[in-house]
Amino acid sequence: MSDTTLRNATDRVWPEDGVTRVPAWIYSDPEIYAKELKVFHYGKTWNFVGLDCEVPEPNSFKRSWVGERPVIITRDAEGEIHVVENRCAHRGSLLCWKNRGQAKDITCPYHHWTYNLSGDLMGLPFLRGVQGKGGMPRDFDKSKNGLTKLRVAVRGGSIWATYSDEVAPLEEYLGPEILMRLDRLVSRRPLRLLGYSRQIVESNWKLYWENSRDPYHATLMHPFLSTFGILRTDGDYHSVPLQEGRHEYTYSQYDPELKNKTSEASKQIKSIHSDLEVKDKEVVSSVVDEFKDGMMGAFQVFPTILVQQYFNCLVVRHVIPKGVGAHELSWTYFGYADDDETINRLRLKQSNLVGPAGFVSLEDSEVLSLMQPVVESCPDSVQVLEMGGHGTEAQSTMMTETLIRAFYDFYRREMGL
Amino acid sequence: MSDWVRIADASEIADDEPFASEWNGEAIALYRHEGEIFAIGDICTHEHVRLSDGWFEGDRIECPLHQSCFEIRTGKVIEGGPASEDVASYQVKVEDGAVFVKRGI
Ligand code: FES
Ligand SMILES: [Fe+2]
Repeated sequence: MSDTTLRNATDRVWPEDGVTRVPAWIYSDPEIYAKELKVFHYGKTWNFVGLDCEVPEPNSFKRSWVGERPVIITRDAEGEIHVVENRCAHRGSLLCWKNRGQAKDITCPYHHWTYNLSGDLMGLPFLRGVQGKGGMPRDFDKSKNGLTKLRVAVRGGSIWATYSDEVAPLEEYLGPEILMRLDRLVSRRPLRLLGYSRQIVESNWKLYWENSRDPYHATLMHPFLSTFGILRTDGDYHSVPLQEGRHEYTYSQYDPELKNKTSEASKQIKSIHSDLEVKDKEVVSSVVDEFKDGMMGAFQVFPTILVQQYFNCLVVRHVIPKGVGAHELSWTYFGYADDDETINRLRLKQSNLVGPAGFVSLEDSEVLSLMQPVVESCPDSVQVLEMGGHGTEAQSTMMTETLIRAFYDFYRREMGL
Repeated sequence: MSDWVRIADASEIADDEPFASEWNGEAIALYRHEGEIFAIGDICTHEHVRLSDGWFEGDRIECPLHQSCFEIRTGKVIEGGPASEDVASYQVKVEDGAVFVKRGI
């Protein structure tokens, strides 16, 4: 049978040439997608769910997602953080409808079963029936009918959850390089929540996952970057895969002089208009080198987030799958509790760089949502990934697809493809 | 309510059934337990519901909605349910077959 849509996920054969070719069916096959959720999001991984500043005080909650499943992050009266499924243990109704807030307990809108913030069932209406009629059987055990609780880990101000009892402790799962980068941003000072933006992108989640591992497109598709010299191909840039492709980080040393330099590479990029200028330089410069290391960069923690620092804008991009052909991008902007007005204003101003309408990110979702129907219509076509060679090693250039190859190297092993 | 208030006839209060009553907008429930009559506030401190519609067993009343329990002698909440505050308690006296209550224990 030649029609790939009729095959089982298990019959799928990855094209020859290994990770330099990616078959388009991985973006549209519902069985592949179902297996990804099972193996990745519901399997042996740690999923980012939120920041501790989103549940700032005792008796507060915030909704989030693990894979497609809605969850609730809670902070109970004692200050302890829990992550529970946002699904009533009774008949499966969505339990918590509010994004964020304060509560001592959570009551299901359907039949008013009530749970405490650690997910235990506290009570249900008419347990004893009415006037001796109806009600639950005598042996109904409330303690066995609580919400599904996930295993939780908190690192600095970041909150993680997993369904797996087997996955290694979070620190080990992240590894020293990611831990160092995560701690630099979320563990040194208490966090302050600045705000959110959210968007639905009509593409398979992996198209976005690749996109944020793809420095090659950045200067080409996002003209803002090259026009105003934020990121230039001739700058110092590093792409580093970790744990055989599971995570990655990229970074560059910010060079304020870069705008005045012209090199071979920058001459090749059509979109550099040296006659254009940003009037408000604060948007594109580190007025405050708050980490005292001149570093800018991003890191990806499989399978949920990209954490990014643009000058003083700090943001977590949470990638939430919504069916095989869509995902949600949830952007959480943060700073620090002890930030002064100056830096707070800078963070807010520079947050214009990213998000659904960000100066340097608005093109991504546009391109990807137009790409999805194309890859769906040609499931047997392949993507070519040969920029920077055929390998999966760290490279000190933007002109490479090594991070995407490394990802698919990891992906194939985990998925058995 | 600083004075004794006549609230029911003693004959109305059965042995194992809560008796819902009211004085000046205040919901009060009467309970007969081991021959004695007790009165406590009748609105659960968790959600707004009459406790007297709940399950009366021993010396406690269990809320019909989420099973918070209260002591009928004192109005004190018993730990384990979602309610964390006590309901009001009342002194009770019976004179010539009439039940009188007064705020406080
Ligand atoms: S489904 Fe939640 S109370 Fe019935
Ligand atoms: Fe991009």
